[in-house]
Parts: sequence; C-alpha cells; structure tokens
Amino acid sequence: MSVVEAPESPAEGRGRRRVAPIVVGVLALVMIGLFVLLAGAGDAKNATANTRLLDRPAPEATARAADGSTFDLARRKGSWVVVNFFQSTCIPCQQEHPELVAFAEQQQALDPTIAAELYTVVVDDAQDAVERFFAEEGGDWPVLYDDDGGFAVAFGVAKVPETWIIDPEGFVRARFISQVTAEGLGTTLQQLRELREPT
Amino acid sequence: MTAATVNAALGNAGLLLMLVASIVGALSTVAAVRSGNVRALRGVSRYAWLILAGAVLATVMMQRALITRDFTLAYVQQVGATSTPALYNVAAMWSALEGSILLWVLVLAGFTAAVAWRYRKRTDDPLVAWAMVVMFAVSAFFAFVAFGPASPFQTVAIPPGFVDGPGPNPLLQNHILVLFHPPILYLGYVGFTVPFAFAIAALVTGRVGEGWLMETRRWALFAWAFLTIGIILGAWWSYEVLGWSGVWAWDPVENASLLPWLTGTAYIHSVLVQERRGMLRVWNISLLVATFALTILGTFITRSGIISSVHAFGAGEVDGYLLGFFGVVVFVSLGLIAWRGDRLRSPGSIDSPVSREGAFLANNVLFTVFAFVVLLGTLFPLLVEALQDRRTVVGAPYFDRLSMPIGLVMLFLMGIAPVLPWRKASTELLRDRLFWPAWMGAGCLVLALVLGADGWAPLAAFGLAGFAAGSALRQLVLATRRQGWRGLVGRANGGMVVHLGVILIAVGLAASNSFTHSATIPLEVGTVQRWGGHTFELLEITEEDTARVNVVKAQVLLDGDQAYAPAITLYKKIGANIGTPSVRTGFTKDVYLTIDGTVRPEPGATEVTLRVFVKPMILWLWIGAGLMAVGTLLAAFPGHRRRRPTDPVSAPIGDPDVEPAAVEPAAPVGAAP
Amino acid sequence: MSARSLNRRLKSTAGWVALLFVVVAALAVGATRDTGPQSAGDRVDAISRRIACPECDGESVYESRSRASEAIRTEIRAQVNAGRADDDQIIEFVAERFGGQVLLVPRSTGIEALAWALPAAALVVGVTALFFAFRRWRLEAAGVPEPTDDDIALVAEARAAERE
Repeated sequence: MSVVEAPESPAEGRGRRRVAPIVVGVLALVMIGLFVLLAGAGDAKNATANTRLLDRPAPEATARAADGSTFDLARRKGSWVVVNFFQSTCIPCQQEHPELVAFAEQQQALDPTIAAELYTVVVDDAQDAVERFFAEEGGDWPVLYDDDGGFAVAFGVAKVPETWIIDPEGFVRARFISQVTAEGLGTTLQQLRELREPT
Repeated sequence: MTAATVNAALGNAGLLLMLVASIVGALSTVAAVRSGNVRALRGVSRYAWLILAGAVLATVMMQRALITRDFTLAYVQQVGATSTPALYNVAAMWSALEGSILLWVLVLAGFTAAVAWRYRKRTDDPLVAWAMVVMFAVSAFFAFVAFGPASPFQTVAIPPGFVDGPGPNPLLQNHILVLFHPPILYLGYVGFTVPFAFAIAALVTGRVGEGWLMETRRWALFAWAFLTIGIILGAWWSYEVLGWSGVWAWDPVENASLLPWLTGTAYIHSVLVQERRGMLRVWNISLLVATFALTILGTFITRSGIISSVHAFGAGEVDGYLLGFFGVVVFVSLGLIAWRGDRLRSPGSIDSPVSREGAFLANNVLFTVFAFVVLLGTLFPLLVEALQDRRTVVGAPYFDRLSMPIGLVMLFLMGIAPVLPWRKASTELLRDRLFWPAWMGAGCLVLALVLGADGWAPLAAFGLAGFAAGSALRQLVLATRRQGWRGLVGRANGGMVVHLGVILIAVGLAASNSFTHSATIPLEVGTVQRWGGHTFELLEITEEDTARVNVVKAQVLLDGDQAYAPAITLYKKIGANIGTPSVRTGFTKDVYLTIDGTVRPEPGATEVTLRVFVKPMILWLWIGAGLMAVGTLLAAFPGHRRRRPTDPVSAPIGDPDVEPAAVEPAAPVGAAP
Repeated sequence: MSARSLNRRLKSTAGWVALLFVVVAALAVGATRDTGPQSAGDRVDAISRRIACPECDGESVYESRSRASEAIRTEIRAQVNAGRADDDQIIEFVAERFGGQVLLVPRSTGIEALAWALPAAALVVGVTALFFAFRRWRLEAAGVPEPTDDDIALVAEARAAERE
C-alpha cells in the first residue's frame, strides 16, 4: 500500500538514514488515515431527501392525464400540490397507498382554499394495471402518466415512491423519499402553511 | 434429514480441521525454528496436508449440499434452486459472500500445500520455515472467517411453505465464464500470498539478499499470469453479458482486481533490477507487501458494501475482520521493513537514467502512480463523505482521463526499454536501435490516419503502440536468429511476447473507447432499417420456455446475411429480466445488438427497439490476452542455459559486443508497414 | 556491404528528422480533423457516460438499462436535439435535479479538486524522487560524496550478508 511515498524507496541506500524514518513515518500516517477512513465508512446505500430544488421554483413538467389530455404542473399554481410518484408493482408503493387514501380524505375535509391537491405520477407502468390497482385499493384523485419519464427526470426521482410538496407559488417545499404516512404528510403540510401565514 | 446434517457437520469439521491445523502449524513451526529443532521442522509439511484435507472436505460438502439441494443450509437456501443447470450449480458456490470465501479458502489451502510439497526437503531451512509460518497464519485467518463469521454451513429451519430457493443471481447463471473467471482470478489473488510469505520470511530471518527472490520468481509469475487472465475473462464476461458493450467500467470491484495487478506488474519488472544488480530491496519487498495487502483490501471493498458497485456482494459480517487483517498485514510488514532497514540497504548505484535499470524505475513510478490513481478514485467517495458528509461517485470518465496519459507514457517506455542495455546507453546506440521501431510507429500512425482515425490521443496511442511493437519484434527477431526457437523462451523473450499482447490490448482499447458508435433503432417486421453502414431487419420474435427461464429473442437479420438474436431472459424464480446481447465479432469491428430497455417484447410481436453498438477492434483484446498468456508461459520456461540462479537471465542483447551484425537484420521488421 | 552502409545512412540525423516530420504532420492532420462527437447520438452517448444512474449501484446512464437511466437518456436526447445547451450545461441540469452524486467526473473545485491534484502530486513526488536518486547515484559514481565510517561499515555488512 506504499502508494504515495513508495517512489522514494529506490533512493534508499548509503547516507540516507535521515530520510528513511521520515518516509516510514509518513507512510504509517497515510495508512492510519486510510484505516480510519475505511473503518468509519458506513453502508453506501443511504438516500438523503436533500434536493437542490428545495425552496426553488418547481421544474417545468408535463404528463398525460388518464383521459389523454396534457397535465401541466405550472397551471396548478395557486393551490398546494402534493405529487406522489408511483408504480403499481412496487411493494412500498402498495403499502403506502392506504396512507395516501387517508391523506386525500383528510384534505377533502378541509377548507377547499387551503386543501392540497394530490396527484399520482405513474412511472413506467401500464395504464390498465394502474387503473385496476386504484379500482381495487381506492383513491379517486387524478392519476398522471409519465410516458417518456420526463416528469420524474425533472424532479430527479430515481426510485419510487417519492412524494413532493409544492406551495401555491409553485415552489418546492418538501420531498419525501420512500413511504409517507397520512399523518406525516398532513403535519408537514400544516407546518408549511403556518410558515406562510405571516407573510 | 440425516444426509442433510452430514453436510453441515462434515463441512464445519473440515473448516475446523483447517483452522486448528493452521494455528498449531504456525505456532509449532515458530517454536521449532526458534529452538532450532530440526526434527520438528522436517515435519512441518504435514500441517499443510491437514489444511488441504480440511479445505477439500469443506468444499466437497458444500458441492454435495448444492447438488442435493440441501435447503437446511442457509447458504443453499440463498443460492440453490432445483432448476439451476448442473454447471451453474457448481458455480453457485462462489455466487455469494460465504461461498466465495470458501473458494478463497480452498485455493489458499492448495497454495499452502503446493509450497509445502515444493520445499518438502528444505523445511529445516529457516527461510522456508518462516514462509510456512506466514502461509499458516494467512490460512488460519481465512479458515477462521469461513468457520465463524462467514460460515457457509450455517443451518436454518426450512421456512414453512418453502419448496425451492431462488438460485444464483441471474447474471451469474447465464454465461459459462462464471465457471472460470472467479477461480482463475482467485488463483491470481491468492497466489501472491506465496511471494509475500517469502518476503516476510526474508525480513524475519534477515536473509534479505536475493535468495528468497529466486525462490519466488515463478510463484509470482504464476500468480500474475492468473490474475491477468482472470481480469481479462472478467472483461470478456462483462462484454458478453452486461449488454452495454463495455469491457471495463472502472467499477470498484474491477478496480479491486486491477490494483494488485498494477503493483504485481511493477514487481515483476523491478525484481529484474534486484536480480541483476542487487538493488531496490526495500522497494521490491514493499511492492510484494502492497500487492498482497491490496488483495485483502480489494476483498474488503467487495464484501463490505462500503462502496456501491454492481458486482459487490451484500454487506456481510466479515468486513471488520478483513479490515483488521489488512491493518495487521500492513503494519507488521512496515514494522519488519523498518526493523531490517539497515540490512536492506544495498550497495551499488544506477549509473544512468538511460539504461535498462532506469527504464524499470520509470516503469515502477508509472505503475505506482497508476495504482495510486485507481485507489484514490475508488476510495474518493469515502473521503468526501467523511469530510463533507455528502455522497459522490467517481466513475469511468475520471479514470479514463487519467489513465490515458499514463497508458501513453507506458507504451512509449515499452518502445524504448527493450533496446536499452544495462548500465548505460549511448545516444549513438539508441539512434541505431530505435530507428526502425520508431518508423514502425510512424507507419502505424499514418496507417491509422489513412483508415480514418482522428483525435490526437488515439492516434498517439496507435503510433506508440507501433513503436513498442517494433521494439518487441526487434528483440524477438534478433533472439530467434541467434538462438533459434530458444529465442522465444526465457524471461526476456517471453516478456516481449507478453508485451505484444499488451500492445494489442492497448490498441483495441484505444480504438474501441474512441470510436464506438451507438444508436437506438426501432424495428418492425418487414422493414429494413439502415444505420452506420449496416442494415437491420426484424424477422420475428421467438420465445423459449423452460421451468427455469422464459427467453424472448428478437431474430434480427444483420446486413441481410445472418440472423442474430439478442434476448431478454426472465428468471422465473427471481422474477428478474436480464438482457443478453448478441454480437457479430469481426477482426476490425464488432456489431453488438441488445434489446433496448427492460420491457419484454411479447412473443409474436412485430416490433422491437434495438440498441446497437458498433465497436472497432474488440477481438484484438482477446487475441492480445491469448498472446499474454502464451508469453507468460514462454517466460516461465527456462531460458538459455544458466549456471547459477544469480546469473543474468535476459538475452545478452544489452552488450554491444555480442551483437555486432545483429542490428541491421532488424530492418525488414521496421520496413513492414 | 552496401546494404549496411545504406542502413547507416538512413539512420543518420536526416532519417530521424524525416521521422519527426512524418509524426508531427500525421498528428497535426489527425488532431485538426477531430470534430468531436459526430452525430447527436454520439453526443448523447458522450454526455450519458458522465452521469451516474441514480437508482443503480455505480453504473453510468450510458451503461444502465434501468428506467431512470432511460428517462435521463431521453431528456439528454431532447436537449441535444433542441441544441440550446452545451454538454456541461446538460450535465449540470441533470445534477441540479438528481443531486451532485450523479456526477461521475469530480468537479475541479472544492474538495473534489483533490481527485485531480493528488495524482499530479504523486507523479511529481515520484519523478522528484527518481531525479534525486539518480543525482546521488551519479555523484557517487563520480566519487564526490565522502562516505562516513558508518556508511562503510554498512556496506561491508551488507556485502557480508550477501555472501552468506
């Protein structure tokens, strides 16, 4: 592992007594550093919910609505928008679904001026499979089809499920990676609303 | 049920036998060598036989468990399936963490026994005895890992409703190379334990002269050859299986195998300087230690899940032990080198940078810097994460950018070094000997230009490759003229054959990296599509269905003359769709067809989307690899008669007086292009 | 005999100058002929090689067949076809969305510059070490440094060790 300092070694020979301990010392330090680095390394597979889009205008994105018309995210300004990225074959999405149903009911109970609109963006899945899933599991909010993957790319969504909250000005306010709960989503939304109130 | 418990019991017994034999062997050998007990030392090899017996027993039991689908073993539940074909079922042993450690254990035990057998009459020599101690200690470590934390013989209750396991990862059961690539790679990895053991023994006994080096020359060459072949088979597997038409992705796991290869290659060059001139002792020992330590580090990287990689095994229980072992290896070796520092100083000096020795030193600096770059790039995400707590990746373009200049300088050195004499070269001599190789390089450059290559970097690569090939051929022609067929064997001449193989690989990589084109082509039955000078026509989509897999193939007529069938295979047990490319191989270019995306076309459908790659000169990689293997064999073959092991081994091309008229016959070689 | 003298004449300075001329001319022609990626498809390939697939382990978008990679390739293709942005801008666009962890080439600023600086430093250290080693060896060969008694003893010991 004498990678950095080793080229010095050919220089060893007579009269180099002062150099050798330094080389060994530096090498030992580098090795200890490497050792600490490796020992401290955790598992590589932890996603973080940080996104550079946070607190910035939501990207331009369009998708196909179930009836074939084009859905344009920019037109939804003026109300809170919750976008859930979904695939009917993904197990976490299936597990998450009842929570979304509960969340949608929760929002419907609120004053329509502050209630959030929930949209499901279907990523890489067949429309009939999704419709069957919604028919069986419930949920009557609009479902959008991201046929070319452009919607997911615009938000940087790599793995479903993911849920995003966009405020009435069209700014990204929250991102949830993996499953959400109705309670978590509702609380976050409430906090975000309260943050906005003073202004 | 009884048959099943036999597998676990005997397997564990084998590993335990190996563990105990290793520990007792190491301790008793240390005791014997310290007390000078010659009788005890003569019996040392018996521990090696016990170690081998234990490892073989464990492997046989694992294979038996796999063949009989003994699902009481957790490991068989993980990788076994009744529908896996017999050959892939054999390979299932090394398709996950625990079994791969078992394979390592088997190979290590084999090397331990081989060393014991080779030196069976000399175990009373302290050097050999200490080398055996090191072998036993390493065996003890791996036997412990296999017996304890990564035991493949753990039994579990069969879960209710369990009928059959999933089988190995689909990528590990769809190409015959999975049978050969891991064992060969491990022969290389583990093989470096032997020279490492002798290096440590030399440090411990203080016999740091050239004796131990002579002992381990062939061992190192053997390990290096298998590591080389293993790496190239891995590249071939990647090309044939992964479907993105690449041979090398600079993936952490690939880098883990490249790192010891780089330091090992530096070693087999610089060792020549020590044999010839008695210099660079510290350096050579450091390279061997580095090579061995890097194999352990590589195993750690592969098995710990600290770096994401397509081929990494899932995080296991072994990472702490491997890291600890790596630390022990590095610090014990460093300590020993520091302790023996005085004896390691060698008299003598290298007179001129323009000499064989000088070229080897430059080679070593390059290889070391290369290894440093690969290690840095591989571990860099960890560094950023530790310092700034954010995630990064370092990928192929980074390594490509940095390895390109290093590779060019290496080719340049390969052109110059073979004509350099030991001690000192005059300008006159260089002008004379390099003339035709240099023109051959210029010829290759012009030829590449005429054939349409562009960009300075690939052109420089072709030119320098021609130059290096010219030098290698010049040496071979001169040597065969003088010595007949013996001019092809021996280390210097065999080494030149290896160089030619490396040059072919360099040319193939430069061409395929620079001039690959790809396109996504939608095909429909009955319509001919054109792209890149080729025509593509979808004939039909066929389906093959077995209990294990369901294969959908797109029969594509390429250039109107032959059908190729890229496929998507559904592995039913795992539920994964795996694409399999279909390749038309040619001497100048390959046409590589895959079905785009992961969505399966329906059998009987009339359209499919293909992703097509046209890659030049891929075949040269495999030819070059073959040449490297042949060259290594020739190099291992004893060269022209040597009286003592310390006699110079290269052909006496370096001495101007031996080669009076030999210079001009080289002319036809250079004139060829 | 004449072949030999011809050979000698060829290898004269003139022969090497001719060689240099051919090489420089060929490289110049080849380098100026370099027009970068030739087609939109090649440009998409070149860009997608520099972006990591966000949902897989260590593959690039170019290599990967996953859904996210397909989508990113589609996005890159759209932007390349639109012709508005250069390669770096497209990569920055993707990095904005998926985060810096999709960049396969470390940036040249901040801590990531170390990935470029350290290899250069390693090369400098190696070459400098070689330079000093050769200088010392040359001085030694010329008999310039006076070995101390210590050194002489050391050499004697090493020689003795070698003889044993």
